Amino acid sequence: MTTSIRFLLNDQEMDMTVPPGLLVLDLLRHHLEKTGTKEGCKEGDCGACTVLLGELTDSGMHYRPVTSCLLPAGEIHGKHLVTVEGLNLNHLTIVQEAIVNEGATQCGFCTPAIVVSLTYGLMEKGANFDDEDVKYVLSGHLCRCTGYASLLRAGKLIQQKAHSLTPSATQSENILQLIEKGILPSYFSEVPEKLKRMASIPPGNGHLPSAKFIAGGTDIYVQEGESLPDLAVTLLNLFPEMKGIVQKGKNLHIGALTTFEEFAAHPLIQKAIPRIKDYMLLNASLQVRNRATIGGNIVNASPIADMVILLLALNAELILTETSPTQKDKPMRRIRLRNFYKGYKKLDKSPTELVKEIVFSIPEPDEQIHFEKVSKRRHLDIASVNSAIRISLKDNIINQIHLSMGGVAPIPLYLSQTCDYLSGKELNLSNIQEAMEIAQTEISPISDIRGSAEYKRLLSRNLFIAHFCELFPDQFSLKDLLNIHG
Amino acid sequence: MSKWKPLEKMKILGKKYPRIDGAEKVTGRARYTYDQFKEGMLYGAILGSRYPAAKIVKIDDSMVWSLPGVKAVLTDVHPTGRVRYVGEEIAAVAATTPEILGEALRLFRVEYEKLPFTLYLEEAMKDEAPRVFPRRSNVNKPRIREEGNVEQGFAQAEVVLEDTFRTQVQIQTPLESHGSMVYWDGDELIIYDSTQAVHGVREGIAKMLDMPLHKVRVICHHMGGGFGSKLQPGIYTVIAARLAKQANAPVRLMLDRQLEFLTTGNRPDSLSRIKMGAKRDGTITAFFAKTYGTAGIGNGAGVRLPIVYSIPNVRHEHHDVYTNAGAARPFRAPGCPQASFAMEQMMDEMAEKLGMDPLQFRLKNDSNPTRQKEWMIGAERFGWHRRKVTPASDPGPIKRGMGLGASIWWPGGRGTKASMKIYSDGSVEVFCGTQDLGTGTRTHIAAVAAEELGLELKQIKVHIGDSNYPRSGASGGSTTSPSVAPAIKNTAEKARQELGKILAEHWNVSPEAIIFSDGYVIASGEAKQRLSWKEACGLLETDVLEVHGEWSEGLSSSGVAGCQFAEVEVDTDTGKIRVLRIVAVADCGLILDRLTTESQVNGGIIQGISYALFEERLFDPQTGAMVNPNFETYKIVGTMETPEIEVILFDEPERGVIGIGEPPTIPTSGAIANAVYNAIGVRIKSLPMTPDKVLQALANQKA
Repeated sequence: MTTSIRFLLNDQEMDMTVPPGLLVLDLLRHHLEKTGTKEGCKEGDCGACTVLLGELTDSGMHYRPVTSCLLPAGEIHGKHLVTVEGLNLNHLTIVQEAIVNEGATQCGFCTPAIVVSLTYGLMEKGANFDDEDVKYVLSGHLCRCTGYASLLRAGKLIQQKAHSLTPSATQSENILQLIEKGILPSYFSEVPEKLKRMASIPPGNGHLPSAKFIAGGTDIYVQEGESLPDLAVTLLNLFPEMKGIVQKGKNLHIGALTTFEEFAAHPLIQKAIPRIKDYMLLNASLQVRNRATIGGNIVNASPIADMVILLLALNAELILTETSPTQKDKPMRRIRLRNFYKGYKKLDKSPTELVKEIVFSIPEPDEQIHFEKVSKRRHLDIASVNSAIRISLKDNIINQIHLSMGGVAPIPLYLSQTCDYLSGKELNLSNIQEAMEIAQTEISPISDIRGSAEYKRLLSRNLFIAHFCELFPDQFSLKDLLNIHG
Repeated sequence: MSKWKPLEKMKILGKKYPRIDGAEKVTGRARYTYDQFKEGMLYGAILGSRYPAAKIVKIDDSMVWSLPGVKAVLTDVHPTGRVRYVGEEIAAVAATTPEILGEALRLFRVEYEKLPFTLYLEEAMKDEAPRVFPRRSNVNKPRIREEGNVEQGFAQAEVVLEDTFRTQVQIQTPLESHGSMVYWDGDELIIYDSTQAVHGVREGIAKMLDMPLHKVRVICHHMGGGFGSKLQPGIYTVIAARLAKQANAPVRLMLDRQLEFLTTGNRPDSLSRIKMGAKRDGTITAFFAKTYGTAGIGNGAGVRLPIVYSIPNVRHEHHDVYTNAGAARPFRAPGCPQASFAMEQMMDEMAEKLGMDPLQFRLKNDSNPTRQKEWMIGAERFGWHRRKVTPASDPGPIKRGMGLGASIWWPGGRGTKASMKIYSDGSVEVFCGTQDLGTGTRTHIAAVAAEELGLELKQIKVHIGDSNYPRSGASGGSTTSPSVAPAIKNTAEKARQELGKILAEHWNVSPEAIIFSDGYVIASGEAKQRLSWKEACGLLETDVLEVHGEWSEGLSSSGVAGCQFAEVEVDTDTGKIRVLRIVAVADCGLILDRLTTESQVNGGIIQGISYALFEERLFDPQTGAMVNPNFETYKIVGTMETPEIEVILFDEPERGVIGIGEPPTIPTSGAIANAVYNAIGVRIKSLPMTPDKVLQALANQKA
């Protein structure tokens, strides 16, 4: 199966016929000999293949860094793909110069992609590009010469230069300034017009050619990457109606194709889950969060998925839709997320059904939400154990509670018996102690590379405690809580 | 040959300047082996054994050939058909596109006769463990080192301590995997290889393919890291050459990330049982260690104990142990981080027992005069006096602590040859068969040549990474700079003398009167003539001045000291360790470039943090497969875990050039472990220091 794609590669208009599932990394390196984009792991973990994907939005161009090793070529249709070659000028840019002058390139294999990500940082933050932003945009890059200290210094140099920019609110304003200052090539200013000219009906619009669905691709390309270019696949991102977040009455409806990054950046979500940005930073790299979708994460059914654990505690519901033409008359179906998982990677879903939306009620002012995770690395690591809670009290009586825990069972676990027990009980030490014992009977951790079963039990206790310690610091002194398991 | 100029007279060396290939790297124009293309090139892949121990009964490749695009297949890759680890090479394929390689590998039908296997050090040491090699015990005969008399040493001791430490298997995982692009030009073989040794690979491959040396050429312009794993010729290169011959087409064969983890080397694990005795005054009198380590099916799992400190009476017995895993290869300071993790903790335990400050105890037992100074500089900068005397004395669940450890390294380098061409327009080319791993060798060559000729860096065109250039050794063991820099100085000096003779004749002065400085050639003394470099070279007319030089005595040496101080924060609820700050003092004689030197030290420290906290090879005990052969689950430190690092370079220009690559990664894990103890009052005696071990240790302490 092939599809025709038209896109901008740097300043060049491209018109090609490719298998839709072909990786953009392979397209760049093997078919177009653009070798500045490097192949490090082909699993989205090292960041050496990072490119920028630019889309024309109502507010002008919007670019995001993504790993090209997890990006299907069929999806770049109508978009602007920027590689390091597309950032080069006749002189070194301030990003490139800072890296050279601070000795932040050693073997240099990770460097071109780092140039791409730091340039993205300037496009996104402009004059406000700060130390935290530097760490943030570099967090998805591995450097085995471990030149991070020099890279952070290079980041400081870039910030100094960026101070001459005028603070502005949007990427497109920043981009114009960067062009003016000779930091970005001038062709960037012509990109919106070019894309408009190239705009055509997206391929595959209106029907789904195959039930081999690819959303963000961040799991499926790691699991089945080699076979996908040969298969007939449906690139769900070509159906943008499944994106976006809206409020309907007391509920939030999340389109299944909403990416992690879009989710965390959305004002409605930030209002509902105030610390969502912190939780996200513990999650995947920026490049992966820019691709990974909420729906895809739910369907991947990892027992340890951070997002799913959070959504379980939010008591989310799914709206599923049947895509098979023979069953088109079937109505859409709603199911509680906690009832969706039937066993390890087993779902209550037919192969042709799609998760269309995720729905959860907006937390009331008296409700609190908290998420905890422990893993080896502080950031970007898959948890050993994670847990989330949604709780409301009335006169110190637990009015409503939802608790979830990951990494302790074959499925992302909703602790239903624990919730049942605590519901209507007073929030006190002995009730929590008892609830923790119930939780211990609900979980069934196994020993694996993320830790032994005993360790996970120990962690699950500590995370359980941490929720109450964090949410009700006045009621539970740490000492009391520690004594619970002491 | 003359000595190095004094540091204050140097225009380039000893200063801070960016690398000359920086622009190529930041623009993506630097081409690595992974980026090499040639018309009609095929893509190669290797099929690795699925089992950790098996006889290959039969390999059926008929289905592979049926896949359109397959152009060459090898089923006789393994010499004996008896595989000993998962991933060991058994077959290979070359095809027209990389996309079909995965499918092609799946179509091999391999019949195995599975055999029992053993994976872990202590398991493999048991009598009943399956033997990795049928006629040899898994436990190798001991290597014994003895100095003084340990019995007497322990008899003199007033305090004796015993303890056991374990370290894990760490994998080099350079970001560019191992691999080659090869093609045949008639009966000559051209190899682009991601290697630390272009000459070594030429010699090795010529031998493996039974070819004359002059018909093999190895090229490596840029390479994406090696850390010791790319010092040797690769089986993948031989396979690529054979595939290329069969298909009559160029072949590029780069290992995928999984085979990279399984087959291209590692740092062996270690088990160290140590006994140490000291007098009440803090003098260590005796040291006894029995150590074990596994280098998979290979050897070289030594633990360099006792590291750093001067002890009069020492006995050390070491056994290499075989397991069904890929062979170890050198990894940045082989044998040393393992030893340092154990030794630095032993030192702290003893200091505590003696009621001494850990720093004072070290000063008492460290005979290296450089490090004596470095300890004091580092302690001052770090604020060692603020260290809590009582461990775990912070209130609350998050506790801070401080620790320290010492660096050391031995080898120098020798043996490099080089040549230089000077043209009549003033352009200068240097040729040397070394290679730049990212350490800055290309830049250092330009710097030494420019310094000698009184030119600027950009006036020197450096050619390295080609076995057609004058021979240089492998870049490993911190030998490159001390081997290469003197050879370049020697070559440039010869060029200067040759050019000087021509000018002396031109001006009718003695050759000794000719000076090269700031882009000019000057006749000093009464004559007072001056020509720009370009004008001077113009006297060559149509001739090219070509000289050959080599390494010479007295410009480099060996032996590095150094020390590190670490501050950490430990969350006693979750067991997580966060490194807050490292202060490192590092020496390497005459510093060629402060910027690349600092980068090396920074990199060594951060790799040390990664070793201390995250990295570990893990097996599935049922199947013998590595369960984390990828960057998702084999964790490497990132920017978010990078602490504040301060590097203090200690100049000793009078000692000449010394390599700096290895030493900075040695003491980090031990310094962190000591800081963790200072924070929580419990010792973590096994690497990596993961949250589960910390929580377990805290729980054990309570119990």
